[in-house]
Amino acid sequence: MTEAGVAISIQGVHKSFGDVRAVDGISLDIAEGEFITLLGPSGCGKTTTMRMVAGFEEPDAGSILLRGADVVGVPPNKREVNMCFQHYALFPHMDVEKNIEYGLKLKKVPKGDRQKIVGEMLEIVGLAGMQARKPGQLSGGQQQRVALARALVNQPAALLLDEPLGALDVKLRKQMQLELKRIQHELNTTFVYVTHDQDEALSMSDRIAVMNQGVIEQLGAPREVYEQPATPFVADFVGVLNAMDVRVDEVAGEDLVMKVNERDRIVVPVGPTGTDAGVGSSLLVAVRPERVNLGAGEAALNGGSRLSGTVRQVVYLGTLTQFYVDTSIGKRLIVHHLSDDRSSTVNEGDEVVLTWARDDAAVLSGS
Amino acid sequence: MNAAVSTGGRRWLWVTFWILTFFLYAPLVILVIFSFNDREFVSFPWEGFTFRWYQTFLDNDEIFKSLRISLLVASVTAVVTAVLAIPASIALVRRRFFAKSLVSGMMLAPLVIPLVVLGISLLILFNTIGIEASPLTVVIGHVVIALPFAILTLVPRLERIPVSLEEASRDLGANWLTTFRQITFPLMAPALFSAFLLSFVISFDEVVVASFVAEDATFPVYLLSQLRLPRQLPQVIAVAVVILVISAIIVIAAEVLRRVSDRRLESLTTVQEEEVAVT
Repeated sequence: MTEAGVAISIQGVHKSFGDVRAVDGISLDIAEGEFITLLGPSGCGKTTTMRMVAGFEEPDAGSILLRGADVVGVPPNKREVNMCFQHYALFPHMDVEKNIEYGLKLKKVPKGDRQKIVGEMLEIVGLAGMQARKPGQLSGGQQQRVALARALVNQPAALLLDEPLGALDVKLRKQMQLELKRIQHELNTTFVYVTHDQDEALSMSDRIAVMNQGVIEQLGAPREVYEQPATPFVADFVGVLNAMDVRVDEVAGEDLVMKVNERDRIVVPVGPTGTDAGVGSSLLVAVRPERVNLGAGEAALNGGSRLSGTVRQVVYLGTLTQFYVDTSIGKRLIVHHLSDDRSSTVNEGDEVVLTWARDDAAVLSGS
Repeated sequence: MNAAVSTGGRRWLWVTFWILTFFLYAPLVILVIFSFNDREFVSFPWEGFTFRWYQTFLDNDEIFKSLRISLLVASVTAVVTAVLAIPASIALVRRRFFAKSLVSGMMLAPLVIPLVVLGISLLILFNTIGIEASPLTVVIGHVVIALPFAILTLVPRLERIPVSLEEASRDLGANWLTTFRQITFPLMAPALFSAFLLSFVISFDEVVVASFVAEDATFPVYLLSQLRLPRQLPQVIAVAVVILVISAIIVIAAEVLRRVSDRRLESLTTVQEEEVAVT
């Protein structure tokens, strides 16, 4: 497995703490220059996985390859990866320059070169001229940038980021997301990013590994993970989910159809998951709230799904307005609509028709 | 805070405070006064100001000999204790190991063992394995007494140094020794200094164990022995005043130093807490 272009290769890794199986068989190849995110709720094993790559934990089984070399058993100071810690972990008794040049000093880089590199790195992270500040004199966002510079200055094979934006306020977090992406592009470094925040994962990653209970539930590009969730967990964790139990009444070519009543029906494609569901089988079907159209009367069908219902609650969210609609299948669905003239005319208690295109529904599981 | 205390309660606090202060400092003031009183007996009336007692103690070689022994013993004790307390506290704070609470209990046990018991058992031990009484035996006894105090000084400080700082250092390429030298040690230095001073003072003050295991009397043992002779009392008081002044200066200096260096760690923790508060 020394295939070129693979920065990190995680192969069948297991790790338990006492009775708790933190990581339960994970395999993942991370390409050079890739921005990959391990996304999942706390306790899903994402941080443990990262700490095993960094060398702070050793796997019970399996192997971890860094640029083709097995690093299991190699101490963290001998591994060619660097980490950005959740609370930055800047050395409080050293100024910004001393913090950043820490790794260079250990590599015995001469003083003149060190100063030059630190200066350049501060430029990249947008803190030029801050060399003499102490961490205590910096804001959270600035500390974050110093931590980033300190890790990147060693030109690691991969940078590991452990919920680096968790301690920042929302606005700063959005700004740092863009910054991180820019820096990653500029230096073309492999980033392994750990977070429980789906927005962060979707907006920055080349690929996302959605983790749950120690295993990877789905690995794919953000759009893929969001629009074709492979499991109910992924669908639920990434984005808001409308899940419906659908009983197949009719198979029409490539379509599985549930007839709710005279006019209402749910249509799902037979799909790549190869749902060989026939008439009478039941499926778990999901549709994203923003894919559902909110119509007042008769809406065009075009071979898609249609449900009538009553608006129970309207929640104004700024850009979006959220509608909770009790539908004819007895299930309450969430609909997101841009907060425009149309959405402002729909009130609680209104009769509405929900429609969505055939391909916007995903089959999560069938039986 | 004031709001929680009623007027009556506040008066009570005030009275209690001054009673305590009186019993704490009045003896010291009286000591200073009598050290200058030109009278053979340590009592009133005031019979005139004199430096006589300071003069006699300056001429007393035995006092200086005991003082030298005590300073030597206290210095060695303080260094040894501080050095031993570092790995002990790191193990207690950072490592997980079998029967940890038992081990920590055993390390802190000397806190609750009566000094007389400790002194006798050390004496028996030294006799059994054939170690002659010397300043070294006193040092051993004093390290046993001071170590728990030193550990209890270091542990809270270590607990406040985030493990991630040490991990970051390792991650950036430092081995554990460099990490200790560059990160852990500088950050725990103020507490280490406190532990050093505390051990020094504990050893310098200690009479019971020293009287069992010392060959030549340490300073407090010598002073105590002199109290049998009423004539010696005024000069003993003069010595006490000198020691009092010196220790006061040391303690104040140490506290100032500790506060100044403590801000280093403080500043970082507060900034992080503010950030968290914002989100």
